[in-house]
Amino acid sequence: MPKTRALTVDLAVYSLDCVKRSAYRFTDRFALDLKVEGNAAICTLSFDATASDQVKDIVVASFQKELLDQDLRATIRAETKDVRNLILAHAFSRTGLIGDEPLPVD
Amino acid sequence: MLQLAGEFTQLDGLAPSVQRQHFRISTNPALPKPLASEAAFLCRGAAVPSGFGLYLAHEGDQEVLEGAPTGSPKGVLPISAVYLCDGDILRVSSTAKSYRVVFRRGTRHQSILLTERCNHYCLMCSQPPRDEQDDWLIEETERLIPLLPLDTLELGFTGGEPTIYGERLVNLLRLTDRLLPYTSVHLLSNGRRFADRKFAEAYAAVQHHDLMVGIPVYSDDPGRHNYVVQAEGAFDETIAGILNLKLLRQRVEIRVVVHAQTIDRLPTLAEFIARNLLFVDHVALMGLEITGFTRGNLKKLWIDPYDYKQIMEEAVEILAAYRVPVKVYNHQLCVVTPQVREFCVQSISDWKNEYLPECTGCDLRAQCGGFFSSQVKYRHSDHITAQRLIPVPLAVETAP
Amino acid sequence: MSRFQSIEFYQRPTTTYQLLPFRFTPLNERGEYVVTNLAGEHLVLPGDRLRALVRHELPHTSSEYLGLRARHFLCDDSSKSTPDLLALKIRSRYRRLAEFTGLHIFVVTLRCEHSCPYCQVSRQTGDTEAFDMSRTTADKALEFVFRSPSPAIKIEFQGGESLLNFSLIRYIVERAEAINHQAKRNLQFVIATNLAVVTEEMLAFCRDHRINLSTSLDGPEDLHNKNRPRPGKNSYQRALDGIERARRIVGRDSVSALMTTTAGSLDRVREIIDTYVGLGFTGMFLRPLSPYGFAVKTNAIAAYGADRWVKFYKEGLDYILSLNNAGIPFREFYTSVILKKMLTSDDPGFVDLMSPAGIAIKGIVYNYDGAVYASDESRMLAEMGDQTFRLGSLANDSYEDVFLSDALLNPLEESFAGSVPMCDECAFEPYCGAEPVFHHTVQGDFVGRKAESSFCRRSMAVFRHLIELLRSDPDAKRIFLRWANR
Repeated sequence: MPKTRALTVDLAVYSLDCVKRSAYRFTDRFALDLKVEGNAAICTLSFDATASDQVKDIVVASFQKELLDQDLRATIRAETKDVRNLILAHAFSRTGLIGDEPLPVD
Repeated sequence: MLQLAGEFTQLDGLAPSVQRQHFRISTNPALPKPLASEAAFLCRGAAVPSGFGLYLAHEGDQEVLEGAPTGSPKGVLPISAVYLCDGDILRVSSTAKSYRVVFRRGTRHQSILLTERCNHYCLMCSQPPRDEQDDWLIEETERLIPLLPLDTLELGFTGGEPTIYGERLVNLLRLTDRLLPYTSVHLLSNGRRFADRKFAEAYAAVQHHDLMVGIPVYSDDPGRHNYVVQAEGAFDETIAGILNLKLLRQRVEIRVVVHAQTIDRLPTLAEFIARNLLFVDHVALMGLEITGFTRGNLKKLWIDPYDYKQIMEEAVEILAAYRVPVKVYNHQLCVVTPQVREFCVQSISDWKNEYLPECTGCDLRAQCGGFFSSQVKYRHSDHITAQRLIPVPLAVETAP
Repeated sequence: MSRFQSIEFYQRPTTTYQLLPFRFTPLNERGEYVVTNLAGEHLVLPGDRLRALVRHELPHTSSEYLGLRARHFLCDDSSKSTPDLLALKIRSRYRRLAEFTGLHIFVVTLRCEHSCPYCQVSRQTGDTEAFDMSRTTADKALEFVFRSPSPAIKIEFQGGESLLNFSLIRYIVERAEAINHQAKRNLQFVIATNLAVVTEEMLAFCRDHRINLSTSLDGPEDLHNKNRPRPGKNSYQRALDGIERARRIVGRDSVSALMTTTAGSLDRVREIIDTYVGLGFTGMFLRPLSPYGFAVKTNAIAAYGADRWVKFYKEGLDYILSLNNAGIPFREFYTSVILKKMLTSDDPGFVDLMSPAGIAIKGIVYNYDGAVYASDESRMLAEMGDQTFRLGSLANDSYEDVFLSDALLNPLEESFAGSVPMCDECAFEPYCGAEPVFHHTVQGDFVGRKAESSFCRRSMAVFRHLIELLRSDPDAKRIFLRWANR
């Protein structure tokens, strides 16, 4: 029977999207059961029966570190969303500077 | 070092209303009359032909001028001008009784100063800016171009900042394209004027047959670059100028003067060029000339090239790996690593270069450009050593 | 009195800096991260510096700040040229996409005189009717070939043993050259062959039409012969003979060799490299283990997996680097492809490491029976009973039918790394590929759960290894810069 660990994540600190993205990286280590209660995400991590307590500790710690990283990524995404679109739009309009492309007509 | 400018010990017969006049030097007595009237005959003792616009002799030799036609303009040059020969062009000021050699036949690269005005104030500027109306320099150049021989290999336009002239510069470039169709032109500029799209387009519209603009970029760090050129916002405008020029398919060279303020980030600059400006036509890494502002700022600028030779090697290798054409100028071959030597160019003009006693017996001397006189006089590497190539024995000696 | 301002004057911060889009992924156990920008340029940052960067607390004179600004991870008032420069680099990375399909593989026969255990496709038979491509099929395929807008077209002949149907190869080459008089593409030919049955006549034809040869060389004789049984048990010797004759007749650089990595290879990487060096090859490809035929026939892929192969790769690369440092210019091609993506804005066009996936976009396969497949692996999958990546048939379908089929568009769209979980936020995405065929084979869908993907695991291990080498080993960096720019 698979052993489980429980983790509560404060949704005032981390978004639900963060939690899901973090968990997705560990699909080779545990399966996640997720329930939202109020402003908390209750995470039940189901490990393989062969996983030792030590391994489970390490993986849970990694999951928590990953939450921090995902939060950071969310910050970057939010701040750079507009400039990203701007740069990509500029990149895929005609610039005429690559190879034999014709010059842009103003 | 050759003295390119000086004063006549004697000068008579030139119309004083003509402030400056160009004369091509000739030693050919049979020069056809239409050409002779614009030329200066350099008398060397033999019979003096008639019909020349000016007759010249060197100090100590001036009695030969007595053979010149009466009333013709005559001038006596100092001994320091003894190097003058057929085909050189002199600019003569009759009011100041002075001359300047503006063109030397047989020298690979001719440099023409267009202005001393500049919107930068580089720490190591060898031509410190002067904020004076000096349009006469470009005006003279416009008059000089038609006199230059068709087989002139290369012409350089420098300053100050030549783009200050705007359309007048563009017209000058057009003139060189039309009148010197076999001559390549190298323009030096900080590139900022080309951020103006219209100006870049006018420049490109010349469709010069062989034109390249050399633009300094001193660091991948805008703050550092702006500091070296002493101008806020310089980096951004220079990059914008380079991009506009390349958009219009113009040839661009990036120039870097290597000294204490630019050496630390030279490899990251090389990477910046390789990742962002891979389309540049050439990169020139240049050694420091100890003239102009350099002397006053020597403490900030001086670093012995021998001490940075590993960093130099790293930067050159990065550019070479990315196949960016790169050359190293004004570095003696003994202060660069062996891997860098193939990129070194003998670049110091023949009227500027000298060697040291330490250079005696150096096997690389023929390929090495030597030193600027200013380096010999003021500051050069402490590690100048004659290099010996390991000789390959022609025969193996066997024991008897 | 000096008219010169200090450096501090030109470094005065005006407002706080702005972040530019970037991704980060842990590099190692020491808390360091790899960050990559939109153009695929990378830097390594300690975790605390990364967090300071995102919190806008990085001091503007720190060397990290200068490096991040120069590499376009952040911008401020002094770097207004940044969006233009970034846009140019991004555009460069993607510009080859418009060229579309450049590699066209013709499977001219399934017949083969070898009986390699991992091979899915060959038939040991003399039945030419059943297993050879017909001229009609070849003609139809050539129509498809020249419909591609690519300025460079490479036609590759495969099999079975392609030389067993040499007459068709000759036909296709001559037809393609005739069509190319009008089409005026940069046309190249490659024949993939084990060289065991090559004749002087065939080699002369290759010489006259500038055809390159790609052969198999798995390593030292015993390893090679074990992988490649044939009557006479002399596959290795025949390959060597063929290589030598090909070089003599067609040209020194006309033959390249590819290894197949099997269980037996994993402990013998140095010997394998030595075999290549000894035979005068200037480079080789340390190929990943294939999950296709190998898995089904021997059921051993699980046992080896990604980690074991990564060990093989690291050892091989290390040995190759030491050869280079000793003055032997030998190149590893898999590493070179990745380095080109890491260190330049150029696209190496390597089918297996592309996003959008290289299937059909970069290379396409015309099978002996007229079926059209998205890639060579797709064809192998079909021989094993899975037709997922069969795009159509030359007999019944038009060019548009094939290239606009759901069989192609679905996996392309679904697997695009920029949009799938984990890949979209992975710092290594610019260096990686989408691999829908692999993930379909192993996990059952085009995307795959990357945490469980051996492709992902092995790829990330390689990227991390190369990044560590670039920052810690100046000799390796020098070699890598040159490989990246070949």
